[in-house]
Amino acid sequence: MARSTSKDAQALFQSLRSAYTATPTTLKIIDLYVIYAVFTALIQVAYMAIVGSFPFNSFLSGVLSCIGTAVLAVCLRIQVNKENKEFKDLAPERAFADFVLCNLVLHLVIINFLG
Amino acid sequence: MSKSLVVFTLITLLPFLCYAFSPENPTDRKVLVLLDDFAIKSSHSLFFKSLQSRGFHFDFKLADDPKIALQRYGRYFYDALILFAPTIERFGGSVDSAAILDFVDSGHDLILAADSNASELIREIATECGVDFDEDPAAVVIDHTSYTVSETEGDHTLIASDDLIKSDVIVGSQKIEAPVLFQGIGHTLNPANTLVLKALSASPSAYSANPKSKLSSPPQLTGSAISLVSVIQARNSARILISGSLSLFSNRFFKSGVQKAGSPTKYDKSGNEQFSVELSKWVFHERGHLKAVNVKHHKVGETDEPAMYRINDELEYLVEIYEWSGKAWEPYVADDVQVQFYMMSPYVLKTLSTNNKGLYHTAFKVPDVYGVFQFKVEYQKLGYTTLSLSKQIPVRPFRHNEYERFIPTAYPYYGSAFSMMAGFFIFTIVHLYNK
Amino acid sequence: MAASVPSKGSTLRDAFGNVLSFFILILIGVLAFSIRLFSVIKYESVIHEFDPYFNYRVTQYLSKMGIYEFWNWFDDRTWYPLGRVIGGTVYPGLTLTAGTLWRVLNALNIPLSVETVCVFTAPVFSAFASWATYLLTKEVKGPGAGLTAAALLAMVPSYISRSVAGSYDNEAVAIFALIFTFYLYLKTLNTGSLFYATLNALAYFYMVCSWGGYTFIINLIPMHALLCVVTGRYSSRLYIAYAPFVVLGTLLAALVPVVGFNAVMTSEHFASFLVFIIIHVVALVYYIKGTLSQKMFKVAVTLVVSIGLAVCCAVIAVLIALVASSPTKGWSGRSLSLLDPTYASKYIPIIASVSEHQPPTWPSYFMDINVLAFLVPAGIIACFSPLSDASSFVVLYIATAVYFSGVMVRLMLVLAPAACIMSGIALSQAFEVFTRSIKFQMPGEAPDAQEVGEMISDGVVIQHDVVKAEKSEDTVKERPSKKNRKKEKEPVEKPSVKSQIRKRLLVLPFATSIIALFLLVLLGAFYVVHCVWAAAEAYSAPSIVLTSHSRDGLHVFDDFREAYAWLSHNTEVDDKVASWWDYGYQTTAMANRTVIVDNNTWNNTHIATVGTAMSSPEKAAWEIFNSLDVKYVLVVFGGLVGYPSDDINKFLWMVRIGGGVFPHIKEPDYLRDGQYRIDSQATPTMLNCLMYKLSYYRFVETDGKGFDRVRQTEIGKKYFKLSHFEEVFTTHHWMVRIYKLKPPKNRIRGKTKKSKTKSSSTTSSKRKGTKKRNPWH
Repeated sequence: MARSTSKDAQALFQSLRSAYTATPTTLKIIDLYVIYAVFTALIQVAYMAIVGSFPFNSFLSGVLSCIGTAVLAVCLRIQVNKENKEFKDLAPERAFADFVLCNLVLHLVIINFLG
Repeated sequence: MSKSLVVFTLITLLPFLCYAFSPENPTDRKVLVLLDDFAIKSSHSLFFKSLQSRGFHFDFKLADDPKIALQRYGRYFYDALILFAPTIERFGGSVDSAAILDFVDSGHDLILAADSNASELIREIATECGVDFDEDPAAVVIDHTSYTVSETEGDHTLIASDDLIKSDVIVGSQKIEAPVLFQGIGHTLNPANTLVLKALSASPSAYSANPKSKLSSPPQLTGSAISLVSVIQARNSARILISGSLSLFSNRFFKSGVQKAGSPTKYDKSGNEQFSVELSKWVFHERGHLKAVNVKHHKVGETDEPAMYRINDELEYLVEIYEWSGKAWEPYVADDVQVQFYMMSPYVLKTLSTNNKGLYHTAFKVPDVYGVFQFKVEYQKLGYTTLSLSKQIPVRPFRHNEYERFIPTAYPYYGSAFSMMAGFFIFTIVHLYNK
Repeated sequence: MAASVPSKGSTLRDAFGNVLSFFILILIGVLAFSIRLFSVIKYESVIHEFDPYFNYRVTQYLSKMGIYEFWNWFDDRTWYPLGRVIGGTVYPGLTLTAGTLWRVLNALNIPLSVETVCVFTAPVFSAFASWATYLLTKEVKGPGAGLTAAALLAMVPSYISRSVAGSYDNEAVAIFALIFTFYLYLKTLNTGSLFYATLNALAYFYMVCSWGGYTFIINLIPMHALLCVVTGRYSSRLYIAYAPFVVLGTLLAALVPVVGFNAVMTSEHFASFLVFIIIHVVALVYYIKGTLSQKMFKVAVTLVVSIGLAVCCAVIAVLIALVASSPTKGWSGRSLSLLDPTYASKYIPIIASVSEHQPPTWPSYFMDINVLAFLVPAGIIACFSPLSDASSFVVLYIATAVYFSGVMVRLMLVLAPAACIMSGIALSQAFEVFTRSIKFQMPGEAPDAQEVGEMISDGVVIQHDVVKAEKSEDTVKERPSKKNRKKEKEPVEKPSVKSQIRKRLLVLPFATSIIALFLLVLLGAFYVVHCVWAAAEAYSAPSIVLTSHSRDGLHVFDDFREAYAWLSHNTEVDDKVASWWDYGYQTTAMANRTVIVDNNTWNNTHIATVGTAMSSPEKAAWEIFNSLDVKYVLVVFGGLVGYPSDDINKFLWMVRIGGGVFPHIKEPDYLRDGQYRIDSQATPTMLNCLMYKLSYYRFVETDGKGFDRVRQTEIGKKYFKLSHFEEVFTTHHWMVRIYKLKPPKNRIRGKTKKSKTKSSSTTSSKRKGTKKRNPWH
């Protein structure tokens, strides 16, 4: 039983990897960016667990800026993904412009909230 | 006008007293003396003379003189009133008990002497001031142990009392050695009444009864509960002296020697003169009258008074307190003046330190609580006028930009937030050029 | 859809329709604005009621001192001696809006006073709200329904009650923000554009600034997202609409001082985070599903589910433990009373004491949303055919709103837009069906002759409508004509696509259609009449000025302003005025005097102190008030003119709230056999309490009997004196009575009884001199 699951898992990862190699580089860059953001968020959560939640607003803004960045990047990824049929009539340029606007708002708020 | 002098102290009592006790010309004071008959003027002349020598002007009137008046159009003619008319049933003119009480309530002083046959009117005035004379009209204070030894073995109604109030302010700093002679009616005070004080109390063996009739039931007033002479300081600082004996102020008692029964010492002169003169000084505000001026507070290192403090500010509080000496305001020196920083309950309680020139001062830190605070000085000392200063001052929390910034603990968060922004820029460039 | 048939005629018609609907929208805006002006016309341009006075005062401060001072405003004139940090405890949206409006107008050299701007803010924003409704409904069911819903919203009584001119309250702008946020959410959901998602978060920010009701949004949107996920309607558009909204919205909400960390710390917001996590999991699953083959996906599912379940359980357990560790489970009292309607009355008398926090009665539904209540079910059905993301959202909205409005009267306001949207959908669908039936059965008409047929049918319908409209009021005219426009557009689309099938499906007999149309128009007319009546009669009274009609004409009771003016002219600037908290805002705003408690009921103990003082005997009350440095006590008394919401009627709440903190005040002491009465049967505690004495002092002098017109009874204790208070002012109709605390006695009397009451005769003669004129004699 355990063997079969592990085999299945191996097969699964194989197919996952193969599927992922097929994705265009633009999306890969986005994925990298998302992973970077999520990773930073996790580090901050761990840091908060160690030093305590005193400047809570700073913690919040730090973590939320990471999460926000990640979420927005995911949204962008969804929109520029050519396989996604839902957004055919949405030009990638438009999607990117929206993304930039969204990020600007996000970071403005973060700076406001940081201090 | 005089109100504006002390208006910032926000107290209700001080402004009233300015009518009676004017710091501008306090030595020139008019006193109305109401007498049963003019014989009293001469029989009590020593007492009056001592007052006159201190700058008081007397206006002697018969109590039933139809022309007497205390005020006209709301202006009082006199600064004080001496009522040496124990038997009067009705005053002449427009004066009645209510008028006399109004006179007191507007801040004027009163010396009232009753006697064994005191009238209803006198009793009513006394009651209104918190002094209850023995209801039995014929009763006098009798004391079979501390009476004065005299030529005739009397009915022990002439009492020699030395149970004086222990207050230098009221009876003077010089100790009254000889006992005080007293002959008259006793009274009691309500213990809950905080305004009235026993200046001269009877000994524990005294009682109040009619000496001519046989004692059928136990007397109502007994022992040291009986007060012979009481002083009252009303809330507006008007001072009242009520004595159960008119002859206490008389020349005869002033001059007569005294020997207390059972005591070997015989004094050539009774303590009456010293006692009544010192008491009159207190009653006429020559002693124990305080004033507080120049209440100031400011942040440490500044001189201007702010409209509002912030929590955790360091501040200084200053007040000047003076005492009236009979001629001039002199610095009041004490080490028990306290200031409260008060909001529903005192958050800070500090004893003020003085520089011996009347200036009191302290510094403290505003508590970490915002709200509308008051600087409160509630100074109530036996015999002194009550000082009650309160000054309202709001304490606000931090402004939005007064909080701590750039906390070291938070640097990783700042770092991550800025790294996200940097990441965004890099990503933008990469994303755009990758196409 | 219309673009699918690119015929020249239809584009022209489309453009025509757009222009027309634009003008209709403007008209709707004008209608929404003008229907709310009854209060200004009937009374005057004043701020209404209680809370608006506070908002007005804050706006004045803002316009005078600027935004930073406002933000850091520590108000030392309320809640004496605690003070109140206004900047941190107020929802600044309304004030900032009005302040900005005022500033802009002044910059344009339109010198309006702050008060005028405040008075007209609510009507202006209700026009905006109706436009937002149009947009929202358009997203759900097309422009026809949108126009109908906008028109309905423009005059729905429930909304009018909170937004007449002068009703300068948070709700006035919040409803607009609410609808607009929902619109942007649906727009994002329909388009999947990040641009709208950003706007959505910003609109949400405005809503958070404006009203505590923002928690409704932050719970409803996650609910909808969850619903979509559960019903298998997940799409990446949903992700785009939801995930950025939560992150940005939470951050923005935390920027508002009054919300602050609550945006992440309290349970009201937890739902959104939970759904946020869920939607990420789901998104991942869908992504993997998209990349993997069917078989591999199954393997992945078994693998992930087994691990995922364990992780989920752990997370949920931690969350529950966190929530349960806080005493109120992290929910504020007001929100808890939403979930458990009996919560407030059980634990927090101060919340229960506010009438608008109590459950509504059935008549109030009819009063506030009128015929919409009957149209809503039809609208719901219409939303299910076909069910889209947007329409499911609207259905969810109305379902939750109905529940919440059932808990608190105040939240009827949230229900009103939902009901309008639903009814708009229902009405427009019904009209569509009926007019189409009529059109296809017009004699001599062929289904192919679209253009001509439509023209004719429209013409016929217009005639019908006009005929009917003449019967009803003039205002009705606007609406039927609007419906025609909608019909005008829809036939353009529908018959061209699949007219044959639809026609067969939806055609009704000609006569039935005519009658049904007639009835619908009648219904609409009835609604309009009701709304106008409600706007004119029921909801326009400013409550600061009262009127009553009697045989001898109109009586105006302007006692409140009289009293406040007296206070501001006859008392020292720093004097403290104590009254029940209802009048706190008005006293600070109109009399500019420091108050002990006010309508911002944040400190229960302080209110309980005042309640205790009011229900104590005179001496104890004097001591309480004196310890709070109170100089004047203000009571509102309606017994002479029959003004029912006076302090005696509120008195039991004072007892309850006071007794909640100070147990020596016991409610049964004030009740005789469980009945609250002030006549001779009343309990001695009642007859000796301060509130009774201050209300009925010298009342018997008015008519000799002391007949209380509110309680319809003679009062119990008629002749008494006040020992610690003195009457300083009583208004013309005795509605407001102001007493001053007597200073402590200068001397303390001895115990001996007074032998003769000589002085009492003089005081009584003095009394006669100051006797108040009785307005009725």
